[in-house]
Amino acid sequence: MRNDSEKNECIAVIGSMTQAMNAQSVLARAAIRTEIVKADSANNGRGCAYALSYDCNQDGNLRRVLQIGGIRVRSHQRRRK
Amino acid sequence: MIYLDNAATSFPKPPSVIEAQIRCMQESGGNAGRGSHALAMAAAETIFECRTVAANFFGLDSPEQVVFTPNTTVALNMALKGLLRQGDHVLLSDMEHNAVFRPIWKMANEGRITYDVFPTFPQRKNRSAEDICGAIRARIRSNTRLLVCAHASNLCSSVLPLREIGALCAQKGLLFVVDAAQSAGHIPINMKEIGIDALCVPGHKGLLGSQGSGLLLLRKGLFLDTLMEGGNGVDSLEGEMTEESPERYEVGTLPTPAIAGLCEGIRCVSRMGIETIASHECALNHYLQERLLRMRGIHVYVPNHIGSVLLFNVRGFSADTVGRWLGERGVCVRSGYHCSALGHKTLKTPNGGAVRVSPGIWNTTNDMDGLLEALSSLICRGF
Repeated sequence: MRNDSEKNECIAVIGSMTQAMNAQSVLARAAIRTEIVKADSANNGRGCAYALSYDCNQDGNLRRVLQIGGIRVRSHQRRRK
Repeated sequence: MIYLDNAATSFPKPPSVIEAQIRCMQESGGNAGRGSHALAMAAAETIFECRTVAANFFGLDSPEQVVFTPNTTVALNMALKGLLRQGDHVLLSDMEHNAVFRPIWKMANEGRITYDVFPTFPQRKNRSAEDICGAIRARIRSNTRLLVCAHASNLCSSVLPLREIGALCAQKGLLFVVDAAQSAGHIPINMKEIGIDALCVPGHKGLLGSQGSGLLLLRKGLFLDTLMEGGNGVDSLEGEMTEESPERYEVGTLPTPAIAGLCEGIRCVSRMGIETIASHECALNHYLQERLLRMRGIHVYVPNHIGSVLLFNVRGFSADTVGRWLGERGVCVRSGYHCSALGHKTLKTPNGGAVRVSPGIWNTTNDMDGLLEALSSLICRGF
């Protein structure tokens, strides 16, 4: 039976494409794999934004690396794969 | 054809630059930041790669500090109009291109700012950094907010001491904006080390990219008022432009193929070495200048500065007559005022301006001989 992290993906909403790519490269240097996705505009009050999708098991590491890197995350979300 | 107008735009472009642009159009043809499908992401990666390469090249910490513009002039307009406020006083040098002078002139004419021009003494043989910094210091007022200058003149090879000027600006709390149109790719520029707040760069000259590409490089944390507003792929429900660089300053679709070419152009320059390029161009102009000065009726402006650009006139002929004559014989130079009213006034060129020669990395002494031969035939003909 699939567990929760297998049914859902974790999303860190970053902002612009450049910010998302910058965050991705910072995380890649910390060996955290992410994929750039478009954040769901319906859930993002300001409209279009880009996010990083990642393995929910890496949530803690990701948050820490981004905080150390001074990269602002607009919100953390989970969505069904 | 002998192309000696690299100060206007570099030609030819390296084959790898052309290939990069073609490959981009064939494989990365989406619109970056407008979706997340494969082609949009391919375009976004192309653009991000160029930001990263440019940031490294100019000594910046983050790709987010790299803003794409169509050219240096737009970058300068964005920097000047984005930073200056009502009542500010601005300093600019006496060799500025109209890309600097005209926005400042317009803002002053509208009563929004005042400005003073500081001398750079290009004719002085033993000009020192302190000569120029002293002239700047003498013109600083209580409301002086910004200093803007061209790193290297587009008329002659006079180069300003950016480190010393940057240090003075830092000491006096002035914003420091640099026009690197003629120095990017010819002289190493590390923005952080020099203390530059905004660096304005063309993609299509010394960086060997195509026309339609330019850079506005911003010191971390520098915040500009926007010159233009529009769609940028982020926060689409907001009326206000995002506060975050670079998307705050980039509106509409970016020229992804030109950016791909620029990225490869910067890599080419890095591979060849800026010092190699500069010394090659300097050697060619040295070769040319030596021979011009031996010819009757030739006046070379500021011969004490030898670099990538050489300016001269031929007695008895207008600059445009010389330019036309050379052009008809396959030698491409630029004659006239070179969009630099201030510079020509400082160099005291006659009515009609002068003739500018700007060799590039691909030119040889044979090309200079071709120019000399064509000039000699003009002088002999006495048209």
